[in-house]
Amino acid sequence: MKHVLKGLVAATAMASVLATSGFAADEPKRGGTLITVLGSNVRNLNSAVQSGIVTGFPGAQLFASPLRYDEDWTPQPYLAKSWSVSEDGLKVTLNLVEGATFHDGHPITSSDVKFSVKVIQENHPFKAMFAPVESVDTPDEHTAVLNLSQPHPALMLAMSGQLMSIIPEHIYGDGQNPKSHPRNNVDVVGSGPFKLVEFKNGEHVILERYDGFFMEGRPYLDKIVMRIIVDPSARAIALENGEVHISAFESQPQIINRLKKVDSLTVTSEGYGAIGPLDWLAMNAGSDGPTGNVKVRQAIAYAVDKNFIHNAIMQGTVTDAKTGIHPDSPFYEPDVEAYELDLDKANALLDEAGFAKGDDGMRFGLTIDFGWPSAKPHVEYVKAALKKVGINVTVRASADFPTWAKRMGTMDFDLSWDAVFNWGDPVIGVHRTYVSSNIGKGVWSNTQGYSNARVDELLEMAGKENDPEKRKALYSEFQKIVAAEVPIYFANTLPYHTVYSDKVGNPPLGIWATSSPIDLMYLKD
Amino acid sequence: MTDTPILPKEEIQKARHPMAEATEMFMKNHAAVAAAVVLMLIVLAAIFGPYIYPTDPFDMVWAPFSPPGEAGFLLGTDYLGRDLLAALIHGARVSIVIGLAAAFMSVFIGVTVGALAGFYRGYVEEILMRITEFFQVLPTLLFSMVIVALFGASLPMITFAIGIVSWTAVARITRSEFLRIRELEYVTASRASGASNGKLMFRIILPNALPPIIVQSALMVGSAILFEAGLSFLGLTDPNVVSWGQVIGSNRQYILDASYTVTIPGMAIFITVLAISLVGDGLNDALNPKLRQR
Repeated sequence: MKHVLKGLVAATAMASVLATSGFAADEPKRGGTLITVLGSNVRNLNSAVQSGIVTGFPGAQLFASPLRYDEDWTPQPYLAKSWSVSEDGLKVTLNLVEGATFHDGHPITSSDVKFSVKVIQENHPFKAMFAPVESVDTPDEHTAVLNLSQPHPALMLAMSGQLMSIIPEHIYGDGQNPKSHPRNNVDVVGSGPFKLVEFKNGEHVILERYDGFFMEGRPYLDKIVMRIIVDPSARAIALENGEVHISAFESQPQIINRLKKVDSLTVTSEGYGAIGPLDWLAMNAGSDGPTGNVKVRQAIAYAVDKNFIHNAIMQGTVTDAKTGIHPDSPFYEPDVEAYELDLDKANALLDEAGFAKGDDGMRFGLTIDFGWPSAKPHVEYVKAALKKVGINVTVRASADFPTWAKRMGTMDFDLSWDAVFNWGDPVIGVHRTYVSSNIGKGVWSNTQGYSNARVDELLEMAGKENDPEKRKALYSEFQKIVAAEVPIYFANTLPYHTVYSDKVGNPPLGIWATSSPIDLMYLKD
Repeated sequence: MTDTPILPKEEIQKARHPMAEATEMFMKNHAAVAAAVVLMLIVLAAIFGPYIYPTDPFDMVWAPFSPPGEAGFLLGTDYLGRDLLAALIHGARVSIVIGLAAAFMSVFIGVTVGALAGFYRGYVEEILMRITEFFQVLPTLLFSMVIVALFGASLPMITFAIGIVSWTAVARITRSEFLRIRELEYVTASRASGASNGKLMFRIILPNALPPIIVQSALMVGSAILFEAGLSFLGLTDPNVVSWGQVIGSNRQYILDASYTVTIPGMAIFITVLAISLVGDGLNDALNPKLRQR
């Protein structure tokens, strides 16, 4: 709430300063150099072959996608000026903007769209995005028709943000492996509002306005300097000093709360709905051990106090998440079992499950894993919380991220703290965690070994249901079942925040945060 | 000492047991005595503390970040509401045990390597000293981080990682003492009277080489505690065992909100290591015969 208030105060102040023009007339202004940051090194600027939020920021500036989304989850024209879905849902036609060009002046045509779909299908880690796309027809230069094997409502979100970068066939179609193509990081020829000037890994990515961009008058900024600053404290200092205009994906509660106190900065958690990052306690539901018993899992959920996680560990920087779908998503179902703290119920469930307390007051032992340092307080908390109901939890440290990822991927765990992203449509980032066909296929698959025939059926139906209302009902039932069987105890959204100075106009507060074009962003005087 | 002139009779009668003499020298160093008392208290707390103050350091007992003194928690609570006093008391055990065990290990390796090298000389010395140099040029913290990261952060592994990187100084001191002592007349005399190599090394030379080694090992306990704190601070620690460094490491991101969560265990490490250093200093005075004659 604080940031909203602050925004209001800022707006009022602005209005009084610009007494004659008023806030609404604060017109976007051309020009200026935006200084922003990336929170880690960039492996690859080509967002058609590389996922992740660090590639997403420069990737969405360098490459345009067919659609973009407003903050209400409504698709808007971007590289496709219009689109239509056939009656049976098996044909999606994109009408491309005419006269659009790549950064080297070549026209962007439907064959580039066809090529991009093929490259993404073959190389992007999110296979579900374009899996039903069987072929792409190109009846003319500006029309691309995606032929689907089944209705695929997820396609809409998969055609936006960083997920469907249109890359030039005349550069990447030379037969080299697109994942390691030499032009991925050097001399990039993109389709988006900004072109690459310089990329020095560990230092910066510098982008410059592409004058031939297909949207008239945009982008507003002349130049974007993305400084690579890995240390969150160093980023915070740069923001406090005004050296950096905007930083997205800030996630350390202490730093977020510290920056909220800086007058010239606005700190907001808006704009991450489609990224959909969720923080949760994974339980090995497929295990032969105690976590394989649904009553044990429910007991664990009742023994963990969400309020403590939200207020003490995350210091009030997160919002509640009760299911595997991000609360900002139109498919979120808030009316599910919430597992309010109830130690008596937890004890009763454990007794029922046949795990009586021993002489020392303990019932059985479990291990808990964590994959990154900031999750350590969470697992320490779970250890302390479960001791109260007689579960002796041993924390297992992983030497590094790959060690943890391997344990998760091979389901070698009882409990683990985990964070998984929705990535737009549930088909892309949600189904993978629950469908039984994806059990134990590496980290962030169905690592919980969760298997429920009804859930499989619901997700399959929801994946091809074009009617939004019916689809919502299917997802609603799915979320209720998962909440009841708790293969995962959902804790909250990740505390991602965008921090920007009062010089920034039109910060990216849509559903894709900075994984979307910032052609509307401008710098105030 | 071989050139000490023959003393008058009354002087000879005054000569006492070397231990008594060393104790007297140690007692003259007031800082060392005070440090020894403090150290004794810390060790007692480590041994008996958990029985007197049985609160589990992993239990959440009160609201997070309660400052020291509030609600009966003498040192306050950390970010999860866990009792810092309990963490300090239980952590003392781990810190001191790791300190002692790692120091013992490095002394054991160091003395063995140094003794063999200094006694046998020749190619044995060549090989052992090259190995010592190999360990000497390795960046110690980095090397032990690699060991812990590779083989898992259990207490024995952390002890091993600290011990394996810190024995080189002991080896060098032992070797130099052996090189010096093996040429002395009493060693030659023992050899002439048929003492075996083993007896020469461990019964005759080693006891006379001990004083600098004892001082060095006392200091090593302190540095091992610091080393453990450093590793824990970096998160390379057994998360199910509380140690002082681990308390600092896990509370460090809250230093602006609740600085006492970091400064209190920090002071504990500081005081312990300082006490060990001062005691080592006192031992140096007590065991150094040249100083004794001052």
